[in-house]
Amino acid sequence: MTSQTLQKVDHSALKTNQLFIIFLNILAFILNQPILTAFVALVMGIGAVLKTPGFGIIYKSILRPRGWMKPDVLDDNPEPHRFSQIVGFAFLFAGSIALFLGSAGLGWTLVWIVIALASLNAFGGFCVGCAVYYWLARFGIPGFGKQSPAGTIPGAKPKARVTA
Amino acid sequence: MSLELLLRFASAVGIIFLGVGVYWLANQFLLSRAKGNLSSLLNPLPNKPVIVYFTTPDCAPCKTVQRPALEKLTSLLGEKLHVVEIDATERPDLAKTWGVMSVPTTFLLNARGEARYVNNGVARVEKLMEQIQTL
Repeated sequence: MTSQTLQKVDHSALKTNQLFIIFLNILAFILNQPILTAFVALVMGIGAVLKTPGFGIIYKSILRPRGWMKPDVLDDNPEPHRFSQIVGFAFLFAGSIALFLGSAGLGWTLVWIVIALASLNAFGGFCVGCAVYYWLARFGIPGFGKQSPAGTIPGAKPKARVTA
Repeated sequence: MSLELLLRFASAVGIIFLGVGVYWLANQFLLSRAKGNLSSLLNPLPNKPVIVYFTTPDCAPCKTVQRPALEKLTSLLGEKLHVVEIDATERPDLAKTWGVMSVPTTFLLNARGEARYVNNGVARVEKLMEQIQTL
């Protein structure tokens, strides 16, 4: 439990990001196009720099305005989600490099790890990257200062609006 | 479509099925855990199918889809069904005990109190009805 200040985090933007990561990477695997994986890595990298979900722009500019996806705003810490995206970017970046260097086994394994973790987040509501973030915070690692929202299992989607 | 493309497509489908299988196993684990939890919620057991519905005040799909689905189901089945709604923000202990990680989550239990289905995410009225008929 913690009295930290939480922020409004729209989980629909996060979900859109995850769904695009899943779809584009599966497409990249089927079509054997590492360039598509590299593109996803690039978008995630840009998102990490701008502190926003990489493909969240599609949600904000198309899906939400047209009512195709509704906002799901929760009191949450955005930092663990950013950390998650950075980890995903690192995996896809490494995967892309491996694929371009001809190491298909290693490259696609890294890509499928990202697909699996994004799927767990999108369909199961559990963010493994966030759980790792909270785990590192528990050990007092510098840069990992946030604790999971009160009453929430680290990594699980927050169930409560805990601030007024 | 080239053979390589077909093979890659088949591999992708295989991996996805493997993932779904793992997810199914995790759900089976949740159901086995839920088996003993109903008696702590309802004592005595109502002797009819029970839906345990986890929600939160801020859950948008709960308000727009899940609750209307459950209301429709209740109006269709009347006394033949018992619905227990749990606000996970008020009862985080129950959410933890039942292994709920996101909302809405619905557990369907038969008249003997055995958990048979768990729906992580929205479950529409047709799906719930289908599950109730096989309890």
